[in-house]
Amino acid sequence: MTALRVAAVQASYTLMDRDTTVDRVAALTADAAAQGAELIVFPEVFVPGTPIWIDTRPVWDGDEDWFGLLADNAVVVPGPASARLAGVAADHQVWLVVGVDERERHGSTIYNTVLYYSPAGELAARHRKLVPTGSERTVWGMGDGSTLPVVDIGTARISGLTCWENYMPLARFHLYAQGVNVWVAPTLAQGDGWIATLRHLARENRMFVLGVNPVLHADQIPAGFPARESLVPPGYLEQNGPWLEEGNTVIVAPDGTVIAGPVRRREEILIADLDLREVAIQRRHLDPVGHYNRPDIFRLYVDTAPRPPVIVDPAAAAPQNRKEEPNEHHPSDQRIRG
Amino acid sequence: MEPVTVAAVQAAPVLLDRDATIAKVVTFSEKAAAEGARLVAFPEAFVPGYPDWVWRTRPWDAVASTLYARLLDQALVVGSAATDLLARTARRLGIWLSVGASERDEGGATLYNTLLHFGPDGSLAARHRKLVPTGGERLVWGTGDGSGLTVTDTGFGRLGGLICWENYMPLARAALYARGVDIYLAPTWDNSDVWVPTLRHIAKEGRTYVIGVTACIRAADLPGTLPGRAELYGGVDDWLSRGNTAIIGPDGAVLAGPLTGEEGIVLAEIDTGKARASRQQFDPAGHYSRSDVLRLTVDTTPRTAVSFRRHHDAAEPASPSGEPG
Repeated sequence: MTALRVAAVQASYTLMDRDTTVDRVAALTADAAAQGAELIVFPEVFVPGTPIWIDTRPVWDGDEDWFGLLADNAVVVPGPASARLAGVAADHQVWLVVGVDERERHGSTIYNTVLYYSPAGELAARHRKLVPTGSERTVWGMGDGSTLPVVDIGTARISGLTCWENYMPLARFHLYAQGVNVWVAPTLAQGDGWIATLRHLARENRMFVLGVNPVLHADQIPAGFPARESLVPPGYLEQNGPWLEEGNTVIVAPDGTVIAGPVRRREEILIADLDLREVAIQRRHLDPVGHYNRPDIFRLYVDTAPRPPVIVDPAAAAPQNRKEEPNEHHPSDQRIRG
Repeated sequence: MEPVTVAAVQAAPVLLDRDATIAKVVTFSEKAAAEGARLVAFPEAFVPGYPDWVWRTRPWDAVASTLYARLLDQALVVGSAATDLLARTARRLGIWLSVGASERDEGGATLYNTLLHFGPDGSLAARHRKLVPTGGERLVWGTGDGSGLTVTDTGFGRLGGLICWENYMPLARAALYARGVDIYLAPTWDNSDVWVPTLRHIAKEGRTYVIGVTACIRAADLPGTLPGRAELYGGVDDWLSRGNTAIIGPDGAVLAGPLTGEEGIVLAEIDTGKARASRQQFDPAGHYSRSDVLRLTVDTTPRTAVSFRRHHDAAEPASPSGEPG
């Protein structure tokens, strides 16, 4: 049996506090590793948390300081917080997957990014969400096609998409075609409808699926948070209740069966042992990129080129001499050490 | 858009009896129309019944060959008296009528798992042949081409659909989303627990109403004359399909059903204006696509193995059976 023990960590972040939240990642990773987990997955933008004001208030309505905090506490790759996360992975010899609010070193646009660290303490892959959802578009930019990786971790091929990006059939298909068999879906999505989606995804590609959410009660907003009283107005609490993040963490088998969770309204590390042979066995029934595809009818073209805002090219006047090598400061170089 | 009532009919076919099964289609359509339904949908391969034996026989057993011969004989041919009756029923009742069938070309001996949509004007508005059959189905059904990946404007929403596990083909769904489907039919034989979650996912992914419709049949419903009846099938406790019929809203909520273990008409009121408006949140073919990164092409050319042409002539039409019924 090719087994992989995985952990899906449903936990609270310290809102807009990167370093304290990275401490949480370290402690929770130690806990999951002590339970034998080899792959440990944290929620969407766990570091330094969800910019919750985008849903609690009108757009651009008194959010200056909050956005300033988000920009200050965003994770820069490479940078100290990323190096710290890489160290956590190395300390426990685990694959560590963490959702972060990310920005370029000198940038002010925030990306909704998932970072994959290897047990060797390397940043193995980075995925920037392709399309933010609704109000998220007021804080997050869009990733390009260069960060749609599948990571071979030896026992499994891991990949995934973030939150409603999981509803993009073409993006999923591109990752399916790269042989993913353990899918990580960091998300903020709540409720049974989301569980239905993860069960569908598992069955569509006959793969294991980990849906991982944060959990946050309104009382957990730090006491000294700027304009704390207006961050979550009473009317919002009345309508939506005190759980800003209810949680919905779940693990699903390749036949669509829920094998752990969903867990809501509490912190919990879900642990499961995945038998990877189950994937191939299930795909005798359905393989969306193999015998259950119709490549004569459908052709999917994917542009995986990094799209930096500027291509620095001293030889631009003589295009025939141009070398197709990435600039050393390229923002989307995936092999940067964490 | 005006809200309308739609109906999904969970029923037992008279297995391998085309005309008797079509008589049931007519009866159930009349009942559904009397309930106010503007669209009435029947299950996968309903005429003349899903070839369930592909899961019970060894592939090359003599009885499987005998059953295939019967299925070939009882299959639906577009343009025949049988499709005329379905078209006239749609016109008489003023409904859109969607029926799954084992279908073949007039002179053909390969069967297709086909979904036919008849309009209230009595036309055959669309025909979709399942692109990929599943497992044992591959021993009785061929594969359709991309020409059936269409969506039809009913006046109360854009109607399309895929058949059974074809609904697990992300690219086929993306094609229908891009055509603006508002009412998505998913006739199926799938009885599993995961099927309704799949319907809910598709509804939310496409921001479309989804009508999942399944046959409900047990061995006791099978004609005594069915070849292999005694050796392959038991009695009332031997379910071929319990049914799993459900209608889902564009937010993924279950509006009606799932109905299991009995025949019945599952009804729901739909308003496709709501489906379209909900695409403010998510539109897989619009603001939530990334056409700069991910670009799908779909070949919708009708494909026939042999095209006949005479010297000096232009090519003849590919298939006469593509004409409206």
